[in-house]
Amino acid sequence: MRLFTILTLIVTLLYPKHLLVIGNIDFPKEKLTKEEIKAIFLGKHQFIAEKRLLVMNYKYNSTIRVCFEKSILEKSKHSLERYWRKAYYQGKHPPKVISSTKMLMLYLEKIYPSIGYIDENQAVDIKFKTLFRVKCNID
Amino acid sequence: MKYRFIFFILAYSSFLYATENSYGWNIHNSSLNIGGYLDMTYDSKREEEFLFNDIAMMFSSNNNRFDLLGEIELSHISVDGNSNNSSDIDLKIERLELTYALSDDKSIKIGRFNSDIGYWNQAPISILEDTTTEPYIVKNFFPKATTGIHYHQDINRNSSFSITFQKNNDISHQDNNIAINRHFALAYYGEKEEFSWRLSLGKYLNDSSIDANYIGIGSQYDGDKLVIQAEIFTKNSDDDNNKNLYSAYLQSTWNIKDKHDAIFRFEEYKDNTIETKEQIYLLGYSYRPSKNIVLKSEYIYHQKLPLNRFVYSISVLF
Repeated sequence: MRLFTILTLIVTLLYPKHLLVIGNIDFPKEKLTKEEIKAIFLGKHQFIAEKRLLVMNYKYNSTIRVCFEKSILEKSKHSLERYWRKAYYQGKHPPKVISSTKMLMLYLEKIYPSIGYIDENQAVDIKFKTLFRVKCNID
Repeated sequence: MKYRFIFFILAYSSFLYATENSYGWNIHNSSLNIGGYLDMTYDSKREEEFLFNDIAMMFSSNNNRFDLLGEIELSHISVDGNSNNSSDIDLKIERLELTYALSDDKSIKIGRFNSDIGYWNQAPISILEDTTTEPYIVKNFFPKATTGIHYHQDINRNSSFSITFQKNNDISHQDNNIAINRHFALAYYGEKEEFSWRLSLGKYLNDSSIDANYIGIGSQYDGDKLVIQAEIFTKNSDDDNNKNLYSAYLQSTWNIKDKHDAIFRFEEYKDNTIETKEQIYLLGYSYRPSKNIVLKSEYIYHQKLPLNRFVYSISVLF
């Protein structure tokens, strides 16, 4: 029982408490709704201010991505696989996979318009615009 | 023999190139992506019991506001290497479409594309479908493909409509389920959380200059463990075989556990050629060992026609 409690505590500590969905400092919108973010990350809306949006995601099974998929997309792995199989046939491609927050911030600085998400508590040295804040829901 | 060799090369490739939720090969430093799919079926009531139904290559690319999408297909290849009972390779343009984004929520598309009608026509290949066989509606009520112009507009975040227009010959008409040279269609799509709904109506002129019009509605619940889909279509035409047709189905797909699905479908249709109302029950099972491979089996029971049978298939997306 004690081991289970310790393991649960460790897993909980690994996940971020809150996520920030962020865009370039001059991102054309001040805020986005959860529905808008969902549509963007599922490739349903690819343009903003008449420009193609660069959408970034973390590696499969990374804790921050698991948190994002549960809290924003609200879809299971099985549902997302089913969704992307069909989307691929329709010519859509999933978000660009980046390996770290540092890389995400570099793209955010260089490519306009672009969007991604970070752990609220992670320190970054590049200016960005917070578009949405969400509590990490991993239940 | 050479087709078996192609099959194994493609199947082997499929294991290598499917990471995360992306498929295909991305050409380095470009937006060009090349991929494809193949599927093989066994149907005891078909003349050729084993068939490579489709071997297809797809490519897509985008540049600023343009999206290009193509799909070239070899279909109905028997195990002895014949394509549609001929030893010549029968290559078809399944889709060749260029989309231009007019604004954030409006786009226009030209070329040959899947008609924006019903649920099944948006993903009409075996790997994307829960069953190997399709409901009667899919092949008998509207043209699968249109060669023309397609306008799409989002009404809001949860709904959209489209207009399809064709007034020319089909660029790959031997491939279409209904050979047409005119088609006009309107489609509406809406969704809220796990629920979605579609309304489609259209009119076409086939190659024998016979007019037909159709209308259909459908709805889907797309949950994590359960997908339920239902559609009803009706069609009317001057042709006696296509007068006052209707068809409806209800299908449920239950995700029993990871990688395993059980499927049940009930459908009914009116067939004027044999003057009967037919009911079909389907019980199926599918296993997805990896996200780009599916093995399916199903038993199809016809209430009147002597078409009761088992159908099996294996499909790969790469």
